[in-house]
Amino acid sequence: MRRSGRPSPRGRRPQQDMGTPDSLGMTPLGRKTAETGINFTSTTRFSRGLTFIRTHTLFGQSPARRIIPQTSLLQENADPQKIAFLLRKQWTLYSVTPMYKFSYGNLKEYSRLLSAFVAAEKQKGLAVEVGNDLGIKVTLSALLGLKGTDQDQAAILVQIASRSQLPVENAEDRVVWSGWFCCVSGDDFLENVPEDFTCLSLFLANGAESYTTIVGTWFQKTFDCCFSRLTISPLNLAWMAAMWTGCEVDSHMAATELVFSVPCLPQTLDISYAIHPEDAKALWDTVQKTPGEVTQEEVNLFMDCLYSHFHRHFKIHLSATRLVKVSTSIASAHCDGTIKILHSKHLIGVLMLLTELAISQIQ
Amino acid sequence: MAASGRRLRGDPESGFTMDETVAEYIRRTVLKIPRREIMEMLTIWDFLSKTQLQTINVHHTKERISQEVVTLCEENCAGIKQAAILDMIYNHTYPNKKVWTVYQMTRVAGEETDSLNLADFKYKFKRSLQTALKNVTINFREYEDNALWIRIAWGTQYTKPNQYKATYIVYHLQTPYVFISSLRSNLPLLCQALVHASNYHDIHEMELRSRCLDSLKDIVFKRYSQTFQTYHPRPLQERNVAPEKVDPRIIQENKREKERIQRVNQEVFGNGLQPKIEFAQYKLETMFKGEPEMDILTEKEPFRCVVKFSSPHLLEALKSLAPAGMADAPLSPLLTCIPQKARNYFKIKERKDILSASCLGS
Repeated sequence: MRRSGRPSPRGRRPQQDMGTPDSLGMTPLGRKTAETGINFTSTTRFSRGLTFIRTHTLFGQSPARRIIPQTSLLQENADPQKIAFLLRKQWTLYSVTPMYKFSYGNLKEYSRLLSAFVAAEKQKGLAVEVGNDLGIKVTLSALLGLKGTDQDQAAILVQIASRSQLPVENAEDRVVWSGWFCCVSGDDFLENVPEDFTCLSLFLANGAESYTTIVGTWFQKTFDCCFSRLTISPLNLAWMAAMWTGCEVDSHMAATELVFSVPCLPQTLDISYAIHPEDAKALWDTVQKTPGEVTQEEVNLFMDCLYSHFHRHFKIHLSATRLVKVSTSIASAHCDGTIKILHSKHLIGVLMLLTELAISQIQ
Repeated sequence: MAASGRRLRGDPESGFTMDETVAEYIRRTVLKIPRREIMEMLTIWDFLSKTQLQTINVHHTKERISQEVVTLCEENCAGIKQAAILDMIYNHTYPNKKVWTVYQMTRVAGEETDSLNLADFKYKFKRSLQTALKNVTINFREYEDNALWIRIAWGTQYTKPNQYKATYIVYHLQTPYVFISSLRSNLPLLCQALVHASNYHDIHEMELRSRCLDSLKDIVFKRYSQTFQTYHPRPLQERNVAPEKVDPRIIQENKREKERIQRVNQEVFGNGLQPKIEFAQYKLETMFKGEPEMDILTEKEPFRCVVKFSSPHLLEALKSLAPAGMADAPLSPLLTCIPQKARNYFKIKERKDILSASCLGS
């Protein structure tokens, strides 16, 4: 499982994502880039975790090539039910700096502390009886099987459930919020990680944003880490369109759909360009030269082909518009940093790409 | 009238009991109306007297106002017909709450066409529907622009008509066009009734849909500013434009090109405001052909894709693409032909002789 190529300054085509924060992002240590959405402010000193992330790209741009591993299946110890829970849901993405003194052995303790914290935060400003826990229960558990390599840390699932109000025995608790940390094949980008740090660079959340803020604040306070919203640039969305279109899907194939938003007009204009999955895959197969490896040139060529077919019909330059969403049979992703994964077979592959994006945003 | 399970509203004075479902329907219709429009609509409705209207205080909560209206309706013995008319007035004022589809009726070639009599049409239409369906509420209302609005609430053999899911039809009698919205079932029945009542032979759905009823009318009645769809180079015409106060040190780089784009855009789109539609959809089944150096696909099969454009005002947005530099001028006829061809759903196939896509019908 191996290294992606060292970056070399090639003559690149002008990219669409100039001007977005993550492409210009040379974040000086100690200062934060402005993030969309929630901005978590860490009250402790800026995380020590940053000093050992290898710069593998120039100025935060995407690498010249990415490897698609041949065996990207889930490891044997994966729990199918838990994995199924991760699929077909919309997750909001965050990047997380390495956590200090996080221990897998203390998950129960963390559950207890986080429960108390959530209850306390929720009760702020309310006159509530002391000791009343509002029926909220938080559990942290390990998510097995979501590793790319053995060096990866095991994924962690955090769930907030509200206790059933029914008087029935053993009534099920209702999950109101879920979040999970993972790091898939992160070792390509992390080197010399000191002992005390746990790198779970990708965080995915589903549920009310108020809960996400509370959970994130607790983790930041407890483990001296930093969460930031992970947005996806149009360039990376194009990579996803190309890579995911090329994946083999056994069952029902969905169209490859690209959604573009046109800026700078008096009226907003959205263009949805959906290609029949077989035809999209046929196009990608003629573009991709080396199986298992995707280069920037191939992604550009694939997109240019689609743009020029569009231009031939409508005389509109899609390359001048902004790619905001990509949907394929494998997964769909939005530039605001949300993702929905549809097949367990390709879960690892998708997480690997997202882990890479998360780590490069941390830089 | 004491149907099981239904509470009846009683007016002790006149002994009239208004149907609870009618009362509820009137109440909900009034609740939909924005506060500032209530008095006007009730006046147009012309069912409550001036004195009655004066007793309504529009500064009360809408809940209270709607209750007051229902009480007054009871005094006047309102039935389903009056309730339906109020609903029609609401929908005539706010037609953009619904998506309208355009249908066109056709005659057999050479058929004699008598001018259509409104009373005839209404009678035949009602009879056609009522013989087929026992439970159906049909109401008509005419407007000054020769538009006939028809409201139909559908029931089945065993159930009463559902007033909340009524279909609306707008028909201009001397034209073959019918605008229909909120039709969930019973399409064949409705088509048959329309064709029979208007002495046409057949009816088909045009690939034209929008929320803006007026724009749809503009398109099919050709009321927008029309243009020739071909591009002829012409010398720039004098226009009465006040000179801008621009700093003489600023030089516009592409002034000529900008002017050319403006001119071509105007030729293609016309001077006036574009009809308002919200979306256009193209099903493409043409051969893939990129730039010459990208002769990638050697497939002999078409490259299948579906393109959807959406915008609050699609045609205006398309018109501003070329001046913004995001499209060539002239824009593709696939887009500019929308008003002229009166459609916004297209299926484009490869033409056998020419390799460039063109505006073929489905």
